[in-house]
Amino acid sequence: MNAEIIQTHRKKFLREDGMLFVRTDGIIDTMTRIPLLVASLIIVLALIPIQSSFGSPRNLDLMIYPDGTTHVTTEIDVDPLSIDYELNLFGSTIDNFVTINENGFLLNHEIRGNSVLIETFASSVIFIEYDIHDLVSKQSRVWTFSLDSPSDFTLLFPKNSAIIGMTNLPIDMQLINDQNQLTLPSGETEINYLFSTPIITTPVEPINSSPESNYLIYAIVGGIVASAIIATIIRIKQRTTKLTQNQQTTPIEQIDTEEIFKLKPDIREDDKEIVKFISNNGGKALESELRKKFLQPRTTMWRAVKRLERNGIIEIEKKDLQNLVKLRKNMEEEE
Amino acid sequence: MKILALFTIFVLIFGTTSFVNDAYAQNDLSILLRIATQADKQIQNQLHQVYGNDVPEKIQFLYDKGHMTVNSLEKSLPDDAKQAKKDFLTSMKLFKQISKMISEPVVKVQVILIHVDQSSQLDRLEKYVLTLKTISKKLDAKINFENIDDLLLKTHNQIKGGTEIPSETIIQLKSSITSIEKDIREFASHSAFDRIKQFVDRQLDRIDKILDNAEEIGADQNQINKAHELIDEVKALIDKKQIHDAKIVFHELHKLLKNIQYSVG
Repeated sequence: MNAEIIQTHRKKFLREDGMLFVRTDGIIDTMTRIPLLVASLIIVLALIPIQSSFGSPRNLDLMIYPDGTTHVTTEIDVDPLSIDYELNLFGSTIDNFVTINENGFLLNHEIRGNSVLIETFASSVIFIEYDIHDLVSKQSRVWTFSLDSPSDFTLLFPKNSAIIGMTNLPIDMQLINDQNQLTLPSGETEINYLFSTPIITTPVEPINSSPESNYLIYAIVGGIVASAIIATIIRIKQRTTKLTQNQQTTPIEQIDTEEIFKLKPDIREDDKEIVKFISNNGGKALESELRKKFLQPRTTMWRAVKRLERNGIIEIEKKDLQNLVKLRKNMEEEE
Repeated sequence: MKILALFTIFVLIFGTTSFVNDAYAQNDLSILLRIATQADKQIQNQLHQVYGNDVPEKIQFLYDKGHMTVNSLEKSLPDDAKQAKKDFLTSMKLFKQISKMISEPVVKVQVILIHVDQSSQLDRLEKYVLTLKTISKKLDAKINFENIDDLLLKTHNQIKGGTEIPSETIIQLKSSITSIEKDIREFASHSAFDRIKQFVDRQLDRIDKILDNAEEIGADQNQINKAHELIDEVKALIDKKQIHDAKIVFHELHKLLKNIQYSVG
């Protein structure tokens, strides 16, 4: 039996004069969506940092203890098909070395002088932590931190320490729990500091605007206005289609976590710890802070945060290219 | 119209992001002023503490020079970035020189030898214990940390009270941590087998498919046969739980596979 293919759809919609009519309802939608989609892709591409190759640290964070010992934390992409990975350490006096992979599994390692051999087979990202005594020396009251770093890194100074000498320019500076944290470029760095009574930071005078900076401001304002227009278009469209579900949430200072757990009895124990931490942290925390606090790989913490978001316990906002996780206030109302 | 809209969005976004980066870098120079001002005040405090009103002429000269450079740095902002950077490095160099002069005569010492303070040491151990707890929980190793928690608390109290010397407790604590660390590593090695087996199985399936394709497009049959032999060898070693040897053979297989792929383009 020969099967015959009949183009029924064409016959049905073609008029006698051969003109083809199509539905126009979706065209405006499509015309608006495609540029927005492309624009979003461009934004994402512009903002995603260039992926590092195997072996280069994704990030490198150092913290100096008051006695000069330094805690090193780093995250490195590795080839899952390689048997092991050799990492150069910043010295040979190492304590408390530990390395886990992206799933939180402990990896075997062997420290050989200034380097460590880690069994990385079947792992694509490794997280390494250790304490090192070789980076800081002391001359009378002056402490000196020296490092030749393969990548940009952050350096957290002890409380009540004041920087009094530097050999290169910092990229950024932040104050974290009364401690200075510098972001420094790769290469050789030497920083001198000493302990003293804390000095109140002098507020920096606003930068005077020049014609050049005015131009930059106009460009920025222009960009913001454009973004606002795009956002407004999206909002208007959303309102016309789904006006019924308008759930505005506001982060709050402190939430009774027990109430949350009563409302959401099924959440996992480790997720409860995250909720407690965010609550104690004023109701919000950066996802990177959560990763550091719970020593979780990026993907694991991302999944946990997404889980909590799905449960309606938290909401995620973008802040300085980072995810800011906030506890939601109106959970009860939603219930 | 659509192209025009796309182009406008493209230009706006790319233009804006690059300008924002420029503006950010420009504002970042204020960090230099913050650091230099803090250092200036710190050195001033140090000079006052050490010399009172009788600061040696040479040191006073250097300090004045440093202070003037900080003022120059302030004036350079925000327009003259080059000068601001130069002023920053000069002032920091001068302040470092002064602090070294105040500290002389000195002998440079390695931190580990004399400066390890027990409070910092306890902080480090506590942090390490927390890491081990997290790993243990992940492995579901059910390791008992009660003894370590007690020792941590005891050491805390000893340091806080200042009446007892915590050295002995810290030694006990370190010993307990080493023992627990050993238990965790042992437990981890068992779970590592399952993890690696799963990974290898997945990879071998993938390699099998690649070899089939390579065979179809005329890759060297000897190499293909060798690769199949290695696959069988890896499987046999995994069955015998000889993980280390399996990894080595797998690595060899992976290299051979790369050669095959390269030869067929």
